[in-house]
Amino acid sequence: MNVAKLAARNVYRNSHRSMVTITAMAFACAMMIVFSSLMDGVIAGSERNVVTMNTGDIQIHQAAYRDDPDIYKLIQTSAPLSEAIRQAGFFASERLFASGLMASDDSSSGVQLRGVDLLFESTVTELYQHLMQGDWLDQTDEHGVVIGKKLARLLDVTLGDELIFVGQTADGYMANDRFFVRGILKSIAADIDNSAVFMSNTMLRELIGLPESGAHQIVIMRTDRKQDLAEATDKVRTLVNQAVEVMNWRHLMPVISRFLETAQVQTLIMLFFTYIAVASVVLNAMLMSVFERIHEFGIMKAIGVSPWQVIRLVYAETLVQTVIASIAGLILGSCVAWYLQLYGLDMSSLAGGMSFAGIALDPVWHAELSVKSLTMPIGFLFVMAAVAVIYPAAKVALMRPLDAIHHQ
Amino acid sequence: MNQLVKILCGLFVLLAGPSCLYANDHADTQRVNALLNQVDDLWRGESSYAVTSMQVQTEHYTRTMRMEAWSKGKEKTLFKIIEPLREKGTATLKSGNHIYTYLPKTDRTIKLTTGMMMGAWMGSHLTNDDLVKEARLEEDYDATISFEGERDGQDVIEFTLIPKLDVAVVWGKLTLTILAESHIPLVEYYFDEDFVLARTIRFSDVKSLGGRERPTVLRVVPADKPDEYTEFVYEQLELNIALSDRLFSLSSLKKR
Repeated sequence: MNVAKLAARNVYRNSHRSMVTITAMAFACAMMIVFSSLMDGVIAGSERNVVTMNTGDIQIHQAAYRDDPDIYKLIQTSAPLSEAIRQAGFFASERLFASGLMASDDSSSGVQLRGVDLLFESTVTELYQHLMQGDWLDQTDEHGVVIGKKLARLLDVTLGDELIFVGQTADGYMANDRFFVRGILKSIAADIDNSAVFMSNTMLRELIGLPESGAHQIVIMRTDRKQDLAEATDKVRTLVNQAVEVMNWRHLMPVISRFLETAQVQTLIMLFFTYIAVASVVLNAMLMSVFERIHEFGIMKAIGVSPWQVIRLVYAETLVQTVIASIAGLILGSCVAWYLQLYGLDMSSLAGGMSFAGIALDPVWHAELSVKSLTMPIGFLFVMAAVAVIYPAAKVALMRPLDAIHHQ
Repeated sequence: MNQLVKILCGLFVLLAGPSCLYANDHADTQRVNALLNQVDDLWRGESSYAVTSMQVQTEHYTRTMRMEAWSKGKEKTLFKIIEPLREKGTATLKSGNHIYTYLPKTDRTIKLTTGMMMGAWMGSHLTNDDLVKEARLEEDYDATISFEGERDGQDVIEFTLIPKLDVAVVWGKLTLTILAESHIPLVEYYFDEDFVLARTIRFSDVKSLGGRERPTVLRVVPADKPDEYTEFVYEQLELNIALSDRLFSLSSLKKR
């Protein structure tokens, strides 16, 4: 008996029922692909927000800076140090920080000034292309600043509006200057959204009266994203020649790092429940397709087909259906996921400006297609189908032919 | 200037004097009140004008500036910086609960919001909140005499001031020590909400100023940085002079 041929013929003969089974499985498979790629995308997106928007992979500070940040805790000779880091195959950029008061016509708010190196900042973060309105900093527009989204709302300013900064210089005098809103950032992280004012390194140095050299922070990015983070951190450590603290973002932000790790586990748990729902659909379809044909199996057994052959036949039929379903599901699922990767799923009406542990989640969810998010659902579908037919196949195989023939 | 003096001296305490009268129906209350009023009277006037120099010493810098100050009632105070030249004309106006600062460099007047109240005033060890709160303390504290007698060879009286339950004050407790005889303030301690010492204000250099004997030097020392201080030295003080309300308007901030 040619099991494969018979199975194919059976599937084709019961085309209506086969279609129902295949459609159910294909739909379930597509759903799993979309769901897992969307979850991967949201997690990767949060991580990207954290790392590529602000933190970078690795940061260097003066040893005591992070515990008690003040403008006097500078990394000495930061320029040669960051140059050495760049020579060693990393991206590196210096930053300066200061705080004070920023006032608009109607309102004022405490702000954190962030002085960035206009030449190198764009190599370590993607801030420069994460603007909601206006343009990123430019050398030719020294008094043009880029501010956080919520700060703009708080100060009630839009592009081109005037801002007055009042603070204190390093030698205790009053720091005061006039700025203009050049750009407003999209949501990034709570602290940036609420209080960040970006300007050039040189402008901040002049405003606050900081020494010609030195920086509060050096941000480092791996040139090769696949390089191990801990390894890269160790490599940077070998380059520093003074009492500074070298830390990667997982250590700088343990809460967020842990949050992202648990988010992965949460995704797995959610996937598990989705898969269970899918499994019940598959099981239902399989049970239906076998039990409907008990009479037919009874006749086959009566003409001498062995129980083992019956099992093989049921499995072969299932395999044929699953293969067709997974191809259909793969096409459908990857199309939808690809669409979501390009255009995203706008959740802003449900959850506008969501943030967890200080990271702003993009309200538009983008899927991220990967080999894993495509193969895992298909693999699972095969396993599920195989498990689902154990019971009906075994039951039919063990039934007495006469009972089967008379089965209603 | 008496406003500034009050802030600086922590006259908070003294202002709370009258309220004690009603708070406690005790035999001592009359006396506490009378004493605090006397100290109060050292600085209080319907209006004032003063010239003060302020020296700020921190780990990273030392700077000195001179300023003029006018006050009227408890609600209105105006400070203008005379020296150094690079900050000349910078003015702070306190009107009720609002603080405005005029900045000559950018020719702008800005209003400080509540978020900035704990920020340093003019780079000193005082906060903007100190400027605003000062007028309200009258209602904010309950005062008692916690010590009376000889201490360090001087006959002193020490008052303890506890904020009333329903008021929002940043301090947990204040103590003020005055000389028993002349009622001249010596030292005032500020404790935070956990009753840990937060800052000390010492009064010294008693001289005749504005027609009265009073301390002319006030030194504010933050408890967490004992090497740092802000010191105010009074050069000139006139009390109960005629001042127009227009002096305390936003438009007069820019003048001169």
